Amino acid sequence: MGRMTDLPTKGGFSFDLCTRNEMLLKNGVQMPPFRKTGTTIVGLVFQDGVVLGADTRATEGPIVADKNCEKIHFMAPNIYCCGAGTAADTEAVTDMVSSQLQLHRYATGRESRVVTALTLLKSHLFSYQGHVSAALVLGGFDVTGPHLHTVYPHGSTDTLPFATMGSGSLAAMSVFESKYREGLTREEGIELVAEAICAGIFNDLGSGSNVDVCVITKGKTEYLRNYQLPNPRTYISSKGYSFVKGQTEVLSTKITPIQPKVEAVEAGDAMEE
Amino acid sequence: MGDSQYSFSLTTFSPSGKLVQIEHALQAVGSGQTSLGIKAANGVVVATEKKLPSILVDETSVQKIQLMTPNIGVVYSGMGPDSRVLVRKSRKQAQQYFRLYKEAIPVTQLVRETAAVMQEFTQSGGVRPFGVSLLIAGYDDNGPQLYQVDPSGSYFSWKASAMGKNVSNAKTFLEKRYTEDMELEDAIHTAILTLKEGFEGQISGKNIEIGIISADRKFRVLSSSEIDDYLAEVE
Repeated sequence: MGRMTDLPTKGGFSFDLCTRNEMLLKNGVQMPPFRKTGTTIVGLVFQDGVVLGADTRATEGPIVADKNCEKIHFMAPNIYCCGAGTAADTEAVTDMVSSQLQLHRYATGRESRVVTALTLLKSHLFSYQGHVSAALVLGGFDVTGPHLHTVYPHGSTDTLPFATMGSGSLAAMSVFESKYREGLTREEGIELVAEAICAGIFNDLGSGSNVDVCVITKGKTEYLRNYQLPNPRTYISSKGYSFVKGQTEVLSTKITPIQPKVEAVEAGDAMEE
Repeated sequence: MGDSQYSFSLTTFSPSGKLVQIEHALQAVGSGQTSLGIKAANGVVVATEKKLPSILVDETSVQKIQLMTPNIGVVYSGMGPDSRVLVRKSRKQAQQYFRLYKEAIPVTQLVRETAAVMQEFTQSGGVRPFGVSLLIAGYDDNGPQLYQVDPSGSYFSWKASAMGKNVSNAKTFLEKRYTEDMELEDAIHTAILTLKEGFEGQISGKNIEIGIISADRKFRVLSSSEIDDYLAEVE
């Protein structure tokens, strides 16, 4: 077929640099250590649906890049996904699957199912062999009931009644393991999720700031952004800060006159014309 | 007419400057079932006949009016399968637009992209033009909009338009009945009356289809019982 349209650029990961990296390693150049991005994300199943929770700190190594970012991503009106790992990877992969789910909804005329989102995510992650660093907690309520899954960067998944991921996952899991039981009510579920996230916020350096919660039940989703704010900014002086001259001790003074490089030209009438 | 020698090759102009295949495609549209659209002050309505080839066909399985995005819908006259292909491509393009700009695609942009696809198929080797004209109805920040896209890829914005078998009668009827400040409810009644004009047989909720979008920006196809209610009002 002699189509004159531009072929869409083949997307996806270019593995060219991997051969370069191998060559560098062979020549003794060390790989820089991976940046652990830090997060606490959790999910649990309660009697009427699922509750998802996440902290709101985004880190770049030892620096907090975003104090109040959104880690609970929209997949479908009845499915949400928390993302840990590289922020760009989680954003891109959840946006992409969300778009695919929308197209699928138009084609089938039905509400999306959690297993559909799960399969789309895991096949994508598997095909990138773990290079897409997205660790996700996927939860939702569809015609077959409430579902909660975890997805690992290499593409494996688990189906669980309660789950935690991210650098704060151990802190959060300790809360779940001691307090989770089947048949929690909505209020109990939200409280338990908030407690687990707070455990991550206070005990893990990679997690912090606020608690986001998302409750998904039959026919209704509530996204409780900043459900708890346990880290308010304190010690803000309302008068502001002023730095009076003389407050800082002057240790030494050196004045260097700047030599003019350009000689001042005699003012001519050139511009007057 | 010297045109007939040029009528089979899509990518060759005839001496009179026409692409005869596109003329033939418009013929295919003209013999399709009537469809129409009306832009009201606070929304858009599109409607079409849904004549099925036999009473044995399950009419609930056929839906001619489709959604492209939550706030843009489309109806066609002509070859149903061609319209399905176009709707599929347009849905994908709408998603790609959203992925790129994080903005819901404006109606004009989607119309433009759909028209570009239709035009591609008039200038490529080994393909034929689409045998459908589309009426695209949407509501975005620029208010309610109604566009018609032809097999050639040209598109027009209309206040009210019709396509298919009964097009000239329908358009005359619409010209008489259309007013600038029409409300959506009036537009629905007018759409039904226009369809009724050229309808063979008994009109009912089962053999016409109506899609509406109002200021809530959610395109939806009316159920056959809702259509029956409107028909009762119109009697």
